[in-house]
Amino acid sequence: FSNTTQHLYIILHAMTEIEGNCSSHDEFYVRYYVGHRGEFGHEFMEFELSPSGKLRYANNSNYRSSTMIRKEVYISPAVVEETRRIIQSSNIADLDDSKWIEPTKDAGRQELEIKMGNEHIAFTVAEIGSLVDVAKSVDPEGLRVFYYLTQDLRCLMFSLISLHFKIKPIP
Amino acid sequence: MSGATGHRSRRRGERHPASRNGEISMDVSDDQQVSGGTYNTDGEVARYSGSGPQRSVEGWIVFVTGVHEEAQEDDILDAFTEFGKVKNVHLNLDRQTGMAKGYALVEYESYEEAQDAINSLHGTELLGKTVGVDWAFVKPTASSSSGRRGAGSKPHYR
Repeated sequence: FSNTTQHLYIILHAMTEIEGNCSSHDEFYVRYYVGHRGEFGHEFMEFELSPSGKLRYANNSNYRSSTMIRKEVYISPAVVEETRRIIQSSNIADLDDSKWIEPTKDAGRQELEIKMGNEHIAFTVAEIGSLVDVAKSVDPEGLRVFYYLTQDLRCLMFSLISLHFKIKPIP
Repeated sequence: MSGATGHRSRRRGERHPASRNGEISMDVSDDQQVSGGTYNTDGEVARYSGSGPQRSVEGWIVFVTGVHEEAQEDDILDAFTEFGKVKNVHLNLDRQTGMAKGYALVEYESYEEAQDAINSLHGTELLGKTVGVDWAFVKPTASSSSGRRGAGSKPHYR
C-alpha cells in the first residue's frame, strides 16, 4: 500500500475502534436540563437516562400554583439504542461550548450531558428562544446542532412520557 | 445489520421480549435463544434479563425503529392495524429536516396485540427499509440502580 492508503487505513481502523467501543455494552447516560428562575419560581424541565435504562423526567413550575411533575419509567434496549443513534448522528461530540452564551440570571440555563462509549461531554448554555438566538450567536453552526439535538431528544422523551403516563407535559 | 434478518420465530411463552437482542444493536448474534427463563450472559441481553415488558397506563406501547424518512402516519397505521386497533401513534419528525426522524411509537390496548405485532413485523420491510419492532417499556430489574453518572462507575451488567 502507498503511504496515503496506509495512513487512511490506520485512521479508519481507529474510527472503527471508537465506533466499536460505542456499543450497547458501554454505559450510556444522557441528561438534559432547561430552566430559569422568575415570577413562577424555578421553572425547569429535566430528563435523565441512566445506564440501567431508567428514564426520569421532571417538570416544575409554580405558575398558577402548579407543582412538580416527576415521572420515572424503564425504557427498553431498543429505545436506548435509538437515543444513541440520534445523538451519534447529530455529531454533537464535535462541538465546543466555550463560545456559547453563558447562562445568566435572566437568560436561563440549559445543560446537556452525554456519556457514551469513551466520550463524556457536557454543555452549558443560556436558554435558546428560537433560531434567531442561534443565528445571532458567536457560533451559530455549533449552536444549531445543539438546538436541533435537544429538540429531537425532547421530542422522543415527551412521546415516551406522555404515552406511558397519558399526560401532556409542557413543551 | 445483524439484527434484521427477517422474521423471527415465536419464542416460547412470552417471557422477556424486552431482552430480545438484535433489534437494532449492531453486534449481537442472532443465535442467542431464549430458553425457559434463563438468558445468556452476553452483556447486552443480561442487562435486562429478569424484566419483561411494562404496561403503560392504558395500553401496551411498541417501539419501531428503522422507519423510512418519508414514512407517514398512514404507513405505520397500515402495517400495525393488522394486529389490533391502534390506540395511538407517534411518528416524530426530525426538527431540522421535517422528515420522519426514524422511529415511531404504536399503542395497543392488549398485550397480545402488541406481542403479535412485534413477532410479525420485527425485521420486516416498511417502505423498503427494515424495521425493528420491540417493546418500548420494561419492568425495572431487581438489581438495577439509578446508575447516576460518576467517573469510574462500572458498566451495568447483571
